[in-house]
Amino acid sequence: MGEAGIDFMSYLPESRLSQILPLMRNDPRFMLAPAASEADAVSLAVGATLGGKQTACYMESTGIYVSSYQLVVVALHLRVPILLLVGHLGGFDDQRNSFLYSLPGRRLIPQLKALDIEHSVLHNGENLETNIKTAVRTMNALREPVALVFTGDFTV
Amino acid sequence: MNRYECLQFLAPLITDHLIVTSQSGQRIEWGSLSKHDGNLLLGEMGAALNVGAGLAMALPHRKVVVLESDGSVLLALSSLATVANLGISNLAVFVFDNGTYSGTRISEATATRGKTDLEQVAKGAGIERSVTVRELKSFKEQAVPAIEGKTLSFIVCKVQESLIHRDIPRPDVDLPENKYRFVRYLQQTEGKLPSFIGRG
Repeated sequence: MGEAGIDFMSYLPESRLSQILPLMRNDPRFMLAPAASEADAVSLAVGATLGGKQTACYMESTGIYVSSYQLVVVALHLRVPILLLVGHLGGFDDQRNSFLYSLPGRRLIPQLKALDIEHSVLHNGENLETNIKTAVRTMNALREPVALVFTGDFTV
Repeated sequence: MNRYECLQFLAPLITDHLIVTSQSGQRIEWGSLSKHDGNLLLGEMGAALNVGAGLAMALPHRKVVVLESDGSVLLALSSLATVANLGISNLAVFVFDNGTYSGTRISEATATRGKTDLEQVAKGAGIERSVTVRELKSFKEQAVPAIEGKTLSFIVCKVQESLIHRDIPRPDVDLPENKYRFVRYLQQTEGKLPSFIGRG
């Protein structure tokens, strides 16, 4: 993410990708902003982007529902790029799926499509650096949020 | 005390500050009183506080002023806890609390006309400099240090419901145009553009 130019990340932690937080916390390239809600995380990232940061916003799949209002009325309306890093808790390929997660997980991709947010589903770490750089290039070209959805090997 | 006279007092205090407003009559009133290129007039409720906080984090040497309403803050109460814990000192928040969803045109009450006290909610969330003002004199006394100081400030301004904004022409700049004006202003004053402003 650092090589892709990301230097700010707001987040509400979850269980599938949480290992990235201590790594980023110990890397001086990143400014981190913990949020009490994914809605807060999205609007924080909008402000930081306008202030010159290149931002990411990390959340679990249900965070897309919580933050949909902010994604639409702030990020999409103002056309502000944010890299959304979404742990696909409850997705088809979630290795820890259960009845608790499967219903919101199943509806994540339809929700992203309904929001018209460009997204890519990553099942493993192959070409991860390229995929992140591609997503950052795409979000800046679109001037809109773009999502990377992490499932499969990332959910073990 | 009404909101317009408070905003009239604030306008000449603004120099290189960055101003973020939520959607309400204050967006219209501030857009009329201030033509500052550092104004970001958001078009919705429940976002200005966090957008302002993100700006304050990205630009810690600049002062960010957020103009909020009671309805907007109530829509995003988690933002108080979020902002309180970010360690921001360059953010001043003014909440113009008329106890009313004025946009409904039937003066439907917000929770602050009932039992909810935003000053106490903000304090409970961890914003230490949270105060309530009810008269213009008190507003002026609190506004100057909030604008000029280096402490996260949350000023709840108890104002009468006012319909002044309905007699003022609405801003004719849409949100993307406002965004570009805002980031071009930052380019002039910071010497740097956001990375999404790339080659065409």
